[in-house]
Amino acid sequence: MIYISIIIGCILGAIIGMNTPVISYTYSSYLAIAIIAALDTVFGGITSVIKKNFDLKIFLSGFFGNAILSIALTYLGERLNVDIYLAAVVVFVGRMFTNLAIIRRHYVDKWTNKFAEMSHKNKKEVKE
Amino acid sequence: MQEKKIAALLGIMCFLLTVGICIQMRTVTSTASRMGRTYAENELRDSVLKWKEKYDLAYDNLETKESKLEKLRESASKSSETSENVKTDLGKNNMALGLTEVIGKGITITLKDAEVAINKLDLSSSLVHYSDLIEVANALKNAGAEAISINGERIVNPTAIACAGNIIKINNEKVGVPFVINAIGSPEKLYGALTMLGGYIDKLKDDGVTVDIEKKDSITIPKYDGVYKFEYAKVVE
Repeated sequence: MIYISIIIGCILGAIIGMNTPVISYTYSSYLAIAIIAALDTVFGGITSVIKKNFDLKIFLSGFFGNAILSIALTYLGERLNVDIYLAAVVVFVGRMFTNLAIIRRHYVDKWTNKFAEMSHKNKKEVKE
Repeated sequence: MQEKKIAALLGIMCFLLTVGICIQMRTVTSTASRMGRTYAENELRDSVLKWKEKYDLAYDNLETKESKLEKLRESASKSSETSENVKTDLGKNNMALGLTEVIGKGITITLKDAEVAINKLDLSSSLVHYSDLIEVANALKNAGAEAISINGERIVNPTAIACAGNIIKINNEKVGVPFVINAIGSPEKLYGALTMLGGYIDKLKDDGVTVDIEKKDSITIPKYDGVYKFEYAKVVE
């Protein structure tokens, strides 16, 4: 259910994104960092769904809060001539990997259990 | 129900995310910025693109400002041309009207009453009369004098030289002996015109009036202090 909606959202987004006007290059670095932040939030959301502790408020505030904060940090870094956005990228991508690991483990466990059950059943059947 | 909500929300999030990613990708490809090999190269490309964008903006700005400037300049040059013309015209007119001090080469004539009467029967002829001044001024004008003054009184259009008893009035100012007449013009011409045989100066000298004529390289003639009044005369349109 969740994955279907995600795929539909991605397809729709791709179709609309391809037809929207291009933004100015000056602001593309801000958009990039916002995308990274949003991506992180989405993975976090999936993880929380798996863990069954999904909170709508936290998810929404994380989505917009992270994006806005990272944009602000990028802007500040540009003013200060420090690449602060690199830190944001590192944090977000690191969290993304953590979340991905949780998701991966969850499904790997699920499937190994399934396979184990299946093989157990098969063995039983063979024995019988 | 809860799961549906979450699914819808995640779908919307992903939708937004994909839109953003697509826009970003298209922006990057449309600005033809491929990932460079080194960080410095990227930075440089980045700044070049940013500056290019700024340059384009500034160029547009410049064009509009330039057209504005052109207009302003046009109007300014028009007005300055006219004002310049007006200035030179004004200068010329003032000089012609005798409203400015003028300087130039010319002659100085000094007329004095005779110290000893030559003709005892007609003492009056030994004195300098207003008519003598008029004659001299007329002769100077005839000889091409550009500016004349008698004892510092500029001879202009409304100048009257009038007898007022024992003195003479010029421009309503009293003047007396000795009469110093300054005239700007060609010194040779003026001198020649005044000192010709049978001329008015000759006659004055015969009457015993002391006449002194000097050619000068630089004479300053003061301006006319009076006011031009036109009460009855009007410009014909």
